Amino acid sequence: MIALDFPEINSILVWKDLFPSFNKIALIAVLAAVISITIFLLAVRQDHKEAPKGIRNFAEVIVEFIEDGVVMQTMGKDGLAWTPFLMTMFLFIYLCNVPGIIPFFQMPATARMAVPLFLALMVWVIYNVTGIKHQGIGGYLKSTLFPPGVPKALYILVTPIEFISAIIVRPFSLAVRLFANMMAGHILLVTFALLSEALFQAKDKILIPVGILPFFMLVFLTSFEVLVAFLQAYIFAMLTAVYIGGATHPEH
Amino acid sequence: MPTAIVTQSSGQIVHVRLVSSDTTDTTVAPEAVALAAESGTGAAETTAVVAAPNPIAPTPKEIFWSAGSFFVLLIVMRYYLFPKLKKGMVARYDDIRSDIEGADSVKAAAQTDVAGYEKQLAAVRVEAAGRIDAARQTVDAERNAQLAQVNARIASARADAEAKTSAARAAAQGQVAAAVAQVATKAATMASGRTPDASVVQAAVASAMESAGSR
Repeated sequence: MIALDFPEINSILVWKDLFPSFNKIALIAVLAAVISITIFLLAVRQDHKEAPKGIRNFAEVIVEFIEDGVVMQTMGKDGLAWTPFLMTMFLFIYLCNVPGIIPFFQMPATARMAVPLFLALMVWVIYNVTGIKHQGIGGYLKSTLFPPGVPKALYILVTPIEFISAIIVRPFSLAVRLFANMMAGHILLVTFALLSEALFQAKDKILIPVGILPFFMLVFLTSFEVLVAFLQAYIFAMLTAVYIGGATHPEH
Repeated sequence: MPTAIVTQSSGQIVHVRLVSSDTTDTTVAPEAVALAAESGTGAAETTAVVAAPNPIAPTPKEIFWSAGSFFVLLIVMRYYLFPKLKKGMVARYDDIRSDIEGADSVKAAAQTDVAGYEKQLAAVRVEAAGRIDAARQTVDAERNAQLAQVNARIASARADAEAKTSAARAAAQGQVAAAVAQVATKAATMASGRTPDASVVQAAVASAMESAGSR
């Protein structure tokens, strides 16, 4: 038998303060902002008249990705004003996700509920305020709670469902989707890393080669987490755009 | 000092939760509480306190730092970085678009020039073909005239030659007829002993030569 000493859940999710009120999650969040600002600062310093290359090309690719892949797909041309916000959100989430596979960090900031919850509540406030601003409070509630094309008798069922879905559940589903995906990935990586280590250091020599299996799984999951980090940031930005677009143009 | 919240079932301690004044929740194993109780000391005061915050619950400091970082990033991005980057992109796209439009207009002008050139070339070709036809007709007329002159000269030369030939032949025939008549006269003289009439001999020779010539 091998002795697999799995750490307590808190020891892989809850971090001690680096200095008062500033832990690893806060460090990752701050670094996400600093790295984003640095990339774009370096990008805007390059001559815009020349063909973009290097970091400017990278920054422009991000801008075009958000414009073409998120805004135009969900909100159309009218939504282009939201590009800076959605791009900030995408970059911030991605750079909070990615440290989960970076040595020494090995923790996505979004695997703690604070970051997803804050972002989801902010999105909730934004799309509700935007909807009220565009349609008025009556119009917004009408378009949200009484979807057109539904037989009037069914509003008894549909309206409460829409209220729960659009007003209450949305921010939590948004937060939990990101949080759960990143936390599950983090725990999986920890599990396979510990299993590999335990098998490689097993007293029974016959178990040592078996350690290759969880090790390969660890490598696969690490590369999978690269995809998940990007995908979750994209999904969050996309859903944000869908919610804001739905609040501003309910007919769509 | 922390406060202990003890959960009991059928008289057994199943869960103990310590709540301290700094709001940190601590879960302690029931066995540890039981041991502490047996030793006569208060459970809350004697058991080892292990920090066990809820792994899911968000903490205010994390919300504060993530919100602060996000808003700083959003403000810098919204009011400085994105507009500047986008302005550069739009300016470059406009340059490219105007370059493409300029290239299109230059291409259209070049196509117009090419069409004009081809039109002129067609006109020049038509004119050149007309001139070539005219030159060819002139050359043909001159050649025909010269050919006619040459043919006339040849015909004249041929007629002269034929006349000379006819004269030479007539002269030769006369000489041959005289020689034959002389030979025939001598032969007749030798054969008959008398000299034949010269006119008869000449007529006979002429007749023989004519019949020979007609054969």
